[in-house]
Amino acid sequence: MLAALFPVALQSQATGVIYGTLRDTAGRPLTAALVRVAGTELSTRPGPDGVYRLPDVPAGVVTLEARALGYRPARDSTTLAAGDSARIDFTLAVEVIHIPPDVFNLEPIVVTAGKREQSLHDVIASVAIVADSQIARRAVTSLDEAVDRAAGVQMLNGQINIRGSTGYVQGLGSRVLLLVDGVPMNQGDRGGINWDLLPVDNVERVEVVKGAGSALYGSAALGGVVNLITRDIPDDAHARVRLIGGNFAGPPHDVWKFRSSTGLEGGADVTASWGRDPFRGALSFGARHSDGYRQQDEHDHWQVAAKGQYRLDPVTRLDVSGAWASDQYLVPLAWCVRGQCDDRGEAYQPFMVDTSGLGDHTVSDKGYATAVVSREPSPNLSWLARASWLRTDFTDYQRAGNDFGIANRFGGEVRGVVHPDHGRVVTVGGEVAYSDVTSDIFGVHTQAEYAAYGEGEHALGGARLTTGARIDFLAVDGGGLTAVVSPRLGVVLSRGRDVWRASVGRGFRAPSLAERFVTTFVSGIRVVPNPNLMPEDAWSGEIGVARPFASDRARIDAALFWTEARRLIEPAFSSSPLQIQFQNLARARLAGLDLSIAAVPLTSRLSTTLAYTYLYARELAQDTAPARPLAFRPRHLLTLSADYSLGAASLGADFRYSSRFERVELYETDPRVAAKVLDLRAAWRHGPLAAHVLVSNALNYIYNLVPRTLAPVRTITLAITWTY
Amino acid sequence: MRLCVAVAAALLVACNGGLGPTPAPTSCPTNFTGICGTVTIRGTTPESTDVVYVVAYQTFPQSRGELFDFFPRLPNQPATVSLADSTYFYTLGIPNGRYDWVLAVWKKVGNLTIANADSLLREAGYYKRTDADTSLYGAGIVVVNSIGTDSINFVIDFDNMHPVSFYFPAAAVRR
Repeated sequence: MLAALFPVALQSQATGVIYGTLRDTAGRPLTAALVRVAGTELSTRPGPDGVYRLPDVPAGVVTLEARALGYRPARDSTTLAAGDSARIDFTLAVEVIHIPPDVFNLEPIVVTAGKREQSLHDVIASVAIVADSQIARRAVTSLDEAVDRAAGVQMLNGQINIRGSTGYVQGLGSRVLLLVDGVPMNQGDRGGINWDLLPVDNVERVEVVKGAGSALYGSAALGGVVNLITRDIPDDAHARVRLIGGNFAGPPHDVWKFRSSTGLEGGADVTASWGRDPFRGALSFGARHSDGYRQQDEHDHWQVAAKGQYRLDPVTRLDVSGAWASDQYLVPLAWCVRGQCDDRGEAYQPFMVDTSGLGDHTVSDKGYATAVVSREPSPNLSWLARASWLRTDFTDYQRAGNDFGIANRFGGEVRGVVHPDHGRVVTVGGEVAYSDVTSDIFGVHTQAEYAAYGEGEHALGGARLTTGARIDFLAVDGGGLTAVVSPRLGVVLSRGRDVWRASVGRGFRAPSLAERFVTTFVSGIRVVPNPNLMPEDAWSGEIGVARPFASDRARIDAALFWTEARRLIEPAFSSSPLQIQFQNLARARLAGLDLSIAAVPLTSRLSTTLAYTYLYARELAQDTAPARPLAFRPRHLLTLSADYSLGAASLGADFRYSSRFERVELYETDPRVAAKVLDLRAAWRHGPLAAHVLVSNALNYIYNLVPRTLAPVRTITLAITWTY
Repeated sequence: MRLCVAVAAALLVACNGGLGPTPAPTSCPTNFTGICGTVTIRGTTPESTDVVYVVAYQTFPQSRGELFDFFPRLPNQPATVSLADSTYFYTLGIPNGRYDWVLAVWKKVGNLTIANADSLLREAGYYKRTDADTSLYGAGIVVVNSIGTDSINFVIDFDNMHPVSFYFPAAAVRR
């Protein structure tokens, strides 16, 4: 009877547990690694924090082997008593090796596509990864600049588009969900994204999951999900200082000059950390000032961020993190056209603003705090519980009158991942979110979201089949519940060296409180609320294939995608009564090809990547309105990158081409051009010091992507990083 | 190496173009669909001026409710008139079609509603063929046919503006 009730307990009497960490000599956790009990098939991979755990190890003298690509293997032994546990930590030294083709090819591990760790080639959706090395070599000052060069991604004045998902709606209602370490961070009032929430230097990598992700993430994951994954905290004491400085090129034509001096920018980030189990902690401070590259473009930014980990026992961990950022910036309004400024006889002055808006500025504070308890009681079961709070607070100081908005978004989630047997994984969870806003233009309102989700992955021969669904209940101001069901179905099939994937799923976005309740004036016309707005939704599907070629030196990934969206929320103008109101208006179709080729490295010194997206984006005919191109979507988006290494130094370049938008809004007859931007970079490393120079928009190509808003001009940035 | 040079050269060529200085137009731009012309500004500009627009109606509005059925369709922005000089060459991008009424609308500072349109808006001048009779409309029909229709010239006279009630008395439903 007891044996039937407690089989695990009896089994454990003949075995024990070995756990520990895998790190490199700098203390960084090694995740793409393997720990194996010598002479057996018992093995495991460490988690993202480098911690591994091997249960059911036969008692006695045990020898462990640890391997990671690019590191010298290590062995260690211990005596393990039955029912006991032992700890073995490995520190692996870098080893220069030649990898024979077809021998060992470690795919990156991603955590966003399935709300759990997966090898990239097991994922049913397309995923783009921006590693910290890419962020560092681009010497960027904000995270949107880092994400902007990811395959299939385009930022429009801070608004992210994945395969043309959002277009440009002036910061309202992003159709992409932002996560920080898996925690949703879209604003509680406007539904937009604050890319300056986190210090750039704190981000280890960015995962961009393309296509509808609402089956796991719910609202806002209509076009995709972006997860900012922060750095783990290494053993012992470490510090990191990043100094950044730069200057903006002046206008390339005298008739556009607007100031006599050169625009400068500069800033510093300092991070200190200390780690020794069971406690680890990190604290960051940063500040930045920019003169901007156009008139009325000055910006000051301060931030603080902290992260802590407490390991309650070998399988249970508490993670807390938070950040606060404060920004003060002048508001660069639409550029001035003839008669609105000192136009010097020009039709428009792209570096100058309408004099009627001079002096307008914004103060914006934002911060978040999260706590996550995660536990892995057995290799077959893990769970986590999290709570989060996001707060945003802005005041727009304008001649016509000030506006303000204070919003909170509280969130909570419980999630479990079960491996019932080899070849099956089940993820289940529940999530709640509560948003409130107090604002002179959005009013005082609340929105609650309750959700439950489940997804299962099953091995079927050479294929892995994924099915799942999520149900969300939405309530505004304590009113009735609106239910939204988001299913997803996908399959991954390995055929020789090709990995095929296909998926179809539903995405949705609940209207933001701002879209429902905004009451203001735009261009002198009243904007009225629409409390009856419905969620917008889309069915999205893709078929993709990934294959290595050129003796495994290169990898091609191609995907055909298709999205059928309906009830898209757009501002609608009415002449009688005279007003603007957000309404569920448009049906749209977005389809195309997403292609990326990476040769990393192509030769021993040269790495190159190519990413191309072809996009067909149409607003479908409805009632008397004819079909037309969706505004602010490029038909062609191309990114070329190359990096050449010369020992401690390296040189690189990015080229981004975005075809001319077929249609824009507000100023349809304004001149517009394709975007052709060349970035050059160089890096040098010596011990703990690294210097990166970036010349972005090196040819000072003058263009705009959103109406009458000049895109960044040539900017030379130097970033010096010291790591202890 | 040759490949790198070729790629670099291709990029340099590709990066030609972009936006450049554009002198204020004095005639309809090429590849432009809409109307263009010169407005001559007379009278004293009111201190309460917010903006002066040029707009076009396909059909003369029949009621106050149709006041905002002009082209370009809102929320696209109408052409604005610079008041810095006594003449101003405007370009108004509008789709192909026949337009009954092309006019300048003076707007006073303030937020607009149908209710306060009478106090915030004035007709400040409109296009009328020089050989036309004195009727208020019908004498200034403009046809746009895939090019810029030029020389749609008229006068803005701030001393002789007409409120909405001039065209649509408050009690009248149709004019």
